[in-house]
Amino acid sequence: MVSVRLEKVTKRFGKVVAINNVSLEIEDGKLYVLLGPSGGGKTTTLYLIAGIYKPTSGRVYFDEKDVTDLTPAERNVGLVFQNYALYPHMKVYDNIAFPLRLRKEPKSKIDSKVHEVAKFLRIENLLDRYPHQLSGGQQQRVALARALVKEPSVLLLDEPLSNLDALLRVYIRAELKRMQQDLGITSVYVTHDQSEALAIADKIVVINKGVVQQEGTPEQIYENPRNVFVATFIGNPPMNIVKGSVLEDGTIETTGSRLTPPAAMAEKIRKLGLKTILMAFRPENAVVSEHPMEGKFSPLGELFEVEPLGRDAVVTVTVGEFVIKVVMPTKEAMKLRIGSKVYVNIDPNTIKYFDPNTELNLEYIEA
Amino acid sequence: MMPETTDVETINRRRMNVVLGVAVLLASSPILISYFVLIASSFTNQMITGGIMGQLIFTLQNWVLFFEGKLTVTAASVLSFWNILHYILNTFIVAFGVMIVVTVLATLAGYACSRMRFKGRKFLIQLLILLHAFPGVSLIIAVYALYIFSKQPLPQNLWTFYAFLYVIVARAALEVPMDVWIMKGFFDKVPWEVEWSALIDGASRIKVWKDIILPLVKPGIAAIAIFSFMAGWGALIYVMVFLPATEKTLATYIAGLLAGGSLEVVHLPIVAAAGTFYLIPTLAFFTFVRRYMLQTSLSGIKG
Amino acid sequence: MNLKKKLILLFFLGPMLFVVILFYVIPLFLSIYISFTPMTDWNVNRYLTQFIGLANYYRLIHIMMYDPDMRAVIITTVVFTSVTLAINVLGGLLLALATYFMDERLSVPYQGLWLLPRMTPIAVYALLWYYFFHSSGIGLLNTILMRLHLISHPIAWGLDPRYLPWGAWFIIIFINGLVGVSYGMIIFYAAFKSIPKELIVAARVDGASTFRIIRHILLPLTRWHFTFITVWQLFSLLTSFAQTYLLVAWRVVDSTWGQPWALYVFRTAFTTTKDQGLAAAASTFLSAIGIVLGIVALKVLRYKEMILEPKGDI
Repeated sequence: MVSVRLEKVTKRFGKVVAINNVSLEIEDGKLYVLLGPSGGGKTTTLYLIAGIYKPTSGRVYFDEKDVTDLTPAERNVGLVFQNYALYPHMKVYDNIAFPLRLRKEPKSKIDSKVHEVAKFLRIENLLDRYPHQLSGGQQQRVALARALVKEPSVLLLDEPLSNLDALLRVYIRAELKRMQQDLGITSVYVTHDQSEALAIADKIVVINKGVVQQEGTPEQIYENPRNVFVATFIGNPPMNIVKGSVLEDGTIETTGSRLTPPAAMAEKIRKLGLKTILMAFRPENAVVSEHPMEGKFSPLGELFEVEPLGRDAVVTVTVGEFVIKVVMPTKEAMKLRIGSKVYVNIDPNTIKYFDPNTELNLEYIEA
Repeated sequence: MMPETTDVETINRRRMNVVLGVAVLLASSPILISYFVLIASSFTNQMITGGIMGQLIFTLQNWVLFFEGKLTVTAASVLSFWNILHYILNTFIVAFGVMIVVTVLATLAGYACSRMRFKGRKFLIQLLILLHAFPGVSLIIAVYALYIFSKQPLPQNLWTFYAFLYVIVARAALEVPMDVWIMKGFFDKVPWEVEWSALIDGASRIKVWKDIILPLVKPGIAAIAIFSFMAGWGALIYVMVFLPATEKTLATYIAGLLAGGSLEVVHLPIVAAAGTFYLIPTLAFFTFVRRYMLQTSLSGIKG
Repeated sequence: MNLKKKLILLFFLGPMLFVVILFYVIPLFLSIYISFTPMTDWNVNRYLTQFIGLANYYRLIHIMMYDPDMRAVIITTVVFTSVTLAINVLGGLLLALATYFMDERLSVPYQGLWLLPRMTPIAVYALLWYYFFHSSGIGLLNTILMRLHLISHPIAWGLDPRYLPWGAWFIIIFINGLVGVSYGMIIFYAAFKSIPKELIVAARVDGASTFRIIRHILLPLTRWHFTFITVWQLFSLLTSFAQTYLLVAWRVVDSTWGQPWALYVFRTAFTTTKDQGLAAAASTFLSAIGIVLGIVALKVLRYKEMILEPKGDI
C-alpha cells in the first residue's frame, strides 16, 4: 500500500492541454474519488497515475519513489476499465490467472490465489465460464478480481459502475467501499456521478478543464464549495445561484429584496470592493410559502412547477430573472398553486457568497 | 429498432425484385453461360455447343484422361499421371507458400502500424498504399534480373529449390502492402483497454500480440489467408517467368496446352476438366475459411 | 527510443520491410538502371556494367513516333484504359444499386456470380473466353449466333483485319471489365449499406421515388468511394495484363491491337525481342506515371487524415 503524489503534472495532446499543472496527494489506504464532467481530465489523471500516459511535464511518485518513467507493470497497479476489457477468448479462471502466469509464479500458488480472490468477490462458481456468458455485474467482478489478484500497490477504477443499471449500482458501490476498507488498499476511483462520489469517498477531488477545483472530504465539498463550479456540480438539485448588487450601506439587493450579510462577509465584500455579488444556497435550506417567514431572506417570485418525489418535492420558482429550486415536504408543497405569487424563504446562515469575477467562495479568499 | 429491410411498404417490392432480378440475370448471362459450358463440358464427350445438343453423352472420360496426362482421346500420353500430380503439387506449394509468407508478414507489420509509435509511421502507411498501386510489371524485369544474378553463386542442384523460394516470396511481395493495410484495419478495431490490461499485467508487446490480440483478429487473418492463397494458386506470370519449364503449375500447364491456338491437337473437354479442377480448391478453401470469418466473439468488452 | 523498443519494432516490421525493400525499392532503382544499359537476352553479367546513357529512351521515343505497331500500342492503351475504367466504375455502381434495392436473398447469389470472374484463376478465366471468342465454328459465340441465324460463317472476332482494332479492343475490354466491375460493386454496396436506413425510410415516407433516393441520398454520400474506385481501378488497368497476355499467346486476339503498354513491356522483355534495356525504358515510363498518379490519389483522397494515431504512451 502506497501513497500517490502528482507533482505539477501537465499533460498535453498536441495543442490540447488535458491536465494543467496539477499537484495532488493521495493518502495511503484511502479511497479518493476523482469527480468531474466528461472531458474534464479525470480519466487522464487516472491514466497518468497508472502509467498509460506519461506527463508532458511534472513527476509522479509512489511513496518516495519517482515512478514517472516506469511502465504500468513496473508500478504494480491494478486497473479496472469502464468496459472491463476482459480477454474474451479466455475463461474467467485464465483471465484472473493471467497476471500471475506472466510473473511465472508456481502453478499451485496461482491456483490458490485465483480461488482466494474469486471467493472474496463471490465469483468462484463462474471460473469455468467465458466473459460473454456473464452478466454486466459479474464481468465487473472478474475485472476486479484480475486487478486484485496481483496484490497491487494502488487500485484504479475508471467509472466502474456506469455500465450497470441504476439499482445494481447502489448495491455494488456499497460493496466496493466495504471491500476497499477491508483490504486497506489505496484506491483512486473516477466518476462523473456526484452522488456516487459523496457516498463512498474518503476524499473527493473535483476536476474540471484539467484543473483541480477543490479537494476535500464529502462534507467539506458539500457544505463549503470552493467555487461556483463545485457549488453547482455537487448536490441534486444543485445549489441555486442568485446575483445581487452591493449597495452603499453594505447591504445586498436582488430582485426587489434586501439582505444584510453577516459582519465578517460584509467586511470582506467592502475590502474587496465588490459591486456585485453571487449568492448561493442549497434547495433544502429554503421553504416556499404564501407569506414571508420571520428571520429569513424572502424574495418574491412566481410558482412555476411542483414535482412530488415521494416524501419531498422539488418546487421550482421564478424569482426575477432566476430559476430557483427548493426541496420541501410534499405535503406542504401540494398546498401551493401554480402561477401564484410565493415567497422563497431562505435561511440566511446557510447562504454562501461568491466573487463574481473569480467565482471563488469568499470564505476561501484572504482579505 | 429499424427492421432489416431497405424500404417501407410504399413500393411494390415484388415488382422491383422481378425487374432487377431479370435485368441482372440478363447482364450476367455471358458469365453464366461460359462457366456452365466449361464445367459441363468437362463431363461430356464434346464441348457443349448449341448445334449438336442431341449428340452429347455424359462421360467421366475427360477427367480420367486429364489425370493420365493425355491431351487427346486416342494418342499416347505425352505426360503421365505422375506429371499431372507433380503439377498439382507444385501449384499447392506455391499457393501455400504465398499464403504463409503474406499472412505472417502482414500480421506482424499490421500490428506495428496500428499500435506502435515510431518515426515515419504515417509515411510508411502511405507508402504501402502507393506500393499496392504500383505497376508490378515495371518491376518484374529488375526482379528477374536480380534472380538471375543471385542464383549464380548457388550450386546447380539447389537452383530448383531457389526458384520456388524466389517465386513464392516475389509473388507474396505483391500482396503484402494491401494485406498489411487490411490487417491494420482489423487491429485498429480491437479496444485499447484489452491491450492495456495485458500490458499493465506485465506482458511484453510480443506476448500481448501473440496471446491476446491475434485471437481477436481471426477474421482478418482468415481474409488475407484466402486472398493470398488465391493469389498464389492463380499466379501465372511470375510462375511462368521464374520456374523452369519442367516445373509447371496447373496455370502454366493449361497456358502451355493452348499456346498457339492448337485447338486441333488438344481435345478441349480435357482442358475443360483441367480448368474445372483448377477451380475446385479455390472454392473449397473459401467455404472452409469463411466459417472463421463469421466468428467474431468480442464480448467481455462492453461498449 | 531505447534498445528494447527498437528490437521489438524490428521483430514486427523487419520481415515486411525486408521483403518490400528487396522486391519494390531495389527493383525500382535497378529497373531504371537497366534502362541505361543495352541488356538483351538476360545476359546480366555482360551488360549490367555497360552504361549507354539515354540511348534506350531515344530509341523508345523514335519507335513511338515512327513505328505503326507502337502507335497501335499507345492508342490501345488509351482506349483500353479509359473505356474499361468507365465500365468498371459505372458498371460497379449499377450492380451495387441493383443489389442494394433487391431482397437480401437475391442479392447474395448475384454478387457471388459477379465475383466469380475475380476469384477464378487467370488461366481458367482466359480459357473461358478463349472458348467463347474462338475464331472458328467451335467458338461459343460463333455457335450461338449461327444457331440464331444472325451470321452465316464463324467470325474471327479478335483477329479478322476487317474488324480490327474494334474486335480486339472489344474482347480485351470485355474480359477485363467483367473482372473489374466486381470491385466497384463490393465497395459501393458496402458504402450504401453503411448509410443509416432511417434516411431511406424517411425519404420513402415523404414519397420519394427510387430514382430520387439514388440521386439525392445514395450518390452524394458516396462521393469519396467514387473517387477511390476510379483512382484504384485506373492503377489496376495500367498494370494488369495477364489475361490479355494469354489471349494474345493463344491467338484469339491480334497481337498488335490487343497490346496495352504493360503487355508491351512484358513481351519486349521476355518473349518477342528480349530487349530488356528497351523494355526497362518503357517500364520506367510506366513507373513514373504510377508514382505521379499515386501521389495525386493520396492527396485527392485525403488518406493522411484517415490514419489514426496510436493512443497511450506505453
